[in-house]
Amino acid sequence: MAHKPIESEARDPHVPVTSSISSGENTVWADVTSLLQAASQGLQEGELIHGDNFNLFAAMSALEIMDPKMDSGIVCKYYSVDEAIENGAAPVPLSFDKTIDVQCTIDIMDHLLSCEATWHKGHSLAQTVFSCIYLLRLDRTSSHAILHSYCRLIRATCKAVISVVSDARTHEEEDLFTMTYGLPLNGDGDGKCLSMLNAVEETISRQLRACKAPSSKKRVLEDIEPLQPNLDLEEGYCKALLCRLRFRKHFYHVLMCMRRPQGRGLELARKHIASCLSELECIYKSAEFLRSSACGNCEDGIEDKTTASGCEPIGFDASLNSRLSAPTPPRAIRILNWKKAIEYFKKLLHHLDIICSYSLDPSLEAVLRFVVQFQKPQPDLVARAHLQLLLVQDGKLYGRDPIFAVICRAAALPEVVKNHDIQKNEFVVQLGQLVINLLKILCTNAAWQRRKLGKILQDWRVIYVQLELAFKTEFGEMSSITNEENVCVKLSKHILIWVEEQTYWIASRFLMLGFELELYSPSEYCMVYWYIYVVLIKLAEKHHLKMVMSNDTGKRKGKKKRDSPKDVARDYQIPPAVLFLQCHISLAEGLTMLLAALRNENRVFQSLGPFNTEHEIFIQHFELLQQACIPDHISYLSFKDTTAYAQFSTLVMYNYFKDALRLAKELRSSFSNDPDRMAELRKIEQVAEHNGIALNVICRVGALDPSLKVSFEFNHHPYFATAVVRRS
Amino acid sequence: METRSEEEGSRVELIDASEIEYVSYGGEHHLPLVMHLVDQELSEPYSIFTYRYFVYLWPHLSFLAFHKGKCVGTVVCKMGEHRNTFRGYIAMLVVIKPYRGRGIATELVTRSIKVMMESGCEEVTLEAEVTNKGALALYGRLGFIRAKRLFRYYLNGVDAFRLKLLLPRPELHPSLPMMADRDEPHTHDDHIPPEESSELYRGL
Repeated sequence: MAHKPIESEARDPHVPVTSSISSGENTVWADVTSLLQAASQGLQEGELIHGDNFNLFAAMSALEIMDPKMDSGIVCKYYSVDEAIENGAAPVPLSFDKTIDVQCTIDIMDHLLSCEATWHKGHSLAQTVFSCIYLLRLDRTSSHAILHSYCRLIRATCKAVISVVSDARTHEEEDLFTMTYGLPLNGDGDGKCLSMLNAVEETISRQLRACKAPSSKKRVLEDIEPLQPNLDLEEGYCKALLCRLRFRKHFYHVLMCMRRPQGRGLELARKHIASCLSELECIYKSAEFLRSSACGNCEDGIEDKTTASGCEPIGFDASLNSRLSAPTPPRAIRILNWKKAIEYFKKLLHHLDIICSYSLDPSLEAVLRFVVQFQKPQPDLVARAHLQLLLVQDGKLYGRDPIFAVICRAAALPEVVKNHDIQKNEFVVQLGQLVINLLKILCTNAAWQRRKLGKILQDWRVIYVQLELAFKTEFGEMSSITNEENVCVKLSKHILIWVEEQTYWIASRFLMLGFELELYSPSEYCMVYWYIYVVLIKLAEKHHLKMVMSNDTGKRKGKKKRDSPKDVARDYQIPPAVLFLQCHISLAEGLTMLLAALRNENRVFQSLGPFNTEHEIFIQHFELLQQACIPDHISYLSFKDTTAYAQFSTLVMYNYFKDALRLAKELRSSFSNDPDRMAELRKIEQVAEHNGIALNVICRVGALDPSLKVSFEFNHHPYFATAVVRRS
Repeated sequence: METRSEEEGSRVELIDASEIEYVSYGGEHHLPLVMHLVDQELSEPYSIFTYRYFVYLWPHLSFLAFHKGKCVGTVVCKMGEHRNTFRGYIAMLVVIKPYRGRGIATELVTRSIKVMMESGCEEVTLEAEVTNKGALALYGRLGFIRAKRLFRYYLNGVDAFRLKLLLPRPELHPSLPMMADRDEPHTHDDHIPPEESSELYRGL
């Protein structure tokens, strides 16, 4: 038991000798110092007591008592919340001077906003929002209407946010977020918190109106007590309070609206988001007034302050919860400064607005593109959890579209097929689960996401084999040529080709995310681009095949005679979506060969470690893909074969970048209504152009010129590098 | 766990590489030296039991570097079965500031890895902060890849990379000569400063 040793030096001479921990009903304090000393004499240096549950491995979890980094029981200032309150750490009212009381209330609101943003960004609730003593004992504030209603609402808000993140259940690495043990998050009457706040808002609005009215009219207005006695400051304080209260209210409404099933509340949520942003502007602008009227002793260095006024808020102590926060004492954290907190909420609201503006496109392909695009600016956990809950509810897309119907549409099957009995087949059900799982994975943070995408590759490969067998079993025995058989054949063909396409898509995302996560070093780029190249070729092939199959089935319905080959050739053009993939393929191939040539001729970008070879590096990077045979017949040897003889003098290389550039330019007309793909095409053009030029320079100067230095940068595209040639 | 050995450091004195003495962990008398170095340089608190766990069970995997009798660097490792793979793990690596940038850390790690290889390890792994450029460069040169990124792995919110070195399997390279016997001229890679590379070959 933690009891300050009497003989050894106290680490902190100010710690009171009398313990404030009282003996329990069945327990009593006993001083065991001399016992421990005697026991320690019985051991030689280096000896360790062994026990059933105590070996060397278990011993690693030992804590050194009174080590501030290990002992969370150390008393800092107050032992408990109650002691802090007894010592006046959180007075109610905040001051008997009403002006100061208002100032302090605003400071608390600002600091709570900063705490909330800090919590969202990955720290514990106990060290942030619930470092507020007023929140830890909410009932104490009931006589202070403004503070009380604000605290109630922020508590209800935290609870709502935790609920969203918990329900999404994909926050494994961010699990600090939902830890709430011991914190008073549930309050009776929190459902009424909005009406409480509305009442307070109404009062302050009247106070604002009253102070702005010219003095002659004042007698006509209802007899209302001002917010605080200093009439010059009344307007400023009323406004400052109102925007803070309103922001809180509208933010809570955003969360409530977004939780409504099947996206029913999204439009209303957007209105509340707009109100939040406008109130945030007012909050930001109130800083000037608050700083100038702040009570005296606020130091400079306004930049790091967590309040608009620059004053320290009263009533906060993070150490009071240290035993609740985590098994080991939490590291001291920095609460985000006030300006950064506002920026955080602006960013969050912006991302929530993107979610609310989404058209709930029934096409799975469109959903996947939307999610990938959404993730580009690296949205935080709260936004991502909201997206996931919108996409996947009750095992359906948007809680609305059954997964089998989604799959049929993605596989380019006609609408009528979605009611087919085959959806009850266990493997078709499993496929549905894989799709749901994929959507959830795509909403997580990039690092976790990539690991999961790698793991599910095997599942998608296996489901293909299982479905192939299942379809043969179910449909294979049909002997007569009926309409039903046509449907079944079509169904199995389309679904199988779509599963393959989806598998290659996952593989391509897995590889590309490696660039965004900085997992590859330049000596590994060549093999990575090569693998991206082979995967994209397969992806394009499957995508194209799927479209051709749906064209054929469409055509066969209408026409009785077979088309002449000439007609087919004339009617058929490679779909723009496939060409879109083709320009990526050209870029990947170009980069592979450029890097290979640099390695072969200039002997740069090589893996030359003393313990292993390029082969081991290859195995490690592509292990999951290889295990799942994605693609088949691809190995380290294929990579060596392709790249071993790459030379700058081989003219054919020039065309990779030229082809990509030309294709990207041609595709502009096909995607003029799609801003995301237009942006992607522009980036492809830039990379292709710059790399083409770099290649020209290298060839002109001579690849072996020692003054030539080539490096690769990601300034135009997140995963296609641009070669930068420098003369030293 | 942690690595502190940025390769850029102020060179306080001119030290010849041969003045550094490398010693395998020899017993209790080395423990305070290791603890002192690690406690000083790394931010995570370790109890004495943590150190004991490593150096008692795997003394042959921990090394100390001495210069004129002063302990200037140490590496602490373990190895064991992990999901059907026999794997080595580098727990701590420290070189004190004035001695950085001389390949001492590389030599300590290299010695440990060689013992791991001899003991049958199939791979070696560790974690490093994504911001620790020195460690990432050091391990990168030794053939470690960044296998995974771990979001906010450290308590200060910094991400980590899981670094992994896959050791060659004998069946894949039947005629692979020992690395030390390789006759290829050492190429002048941007990443390896000349002093480093000569040390590597000398050590093998």
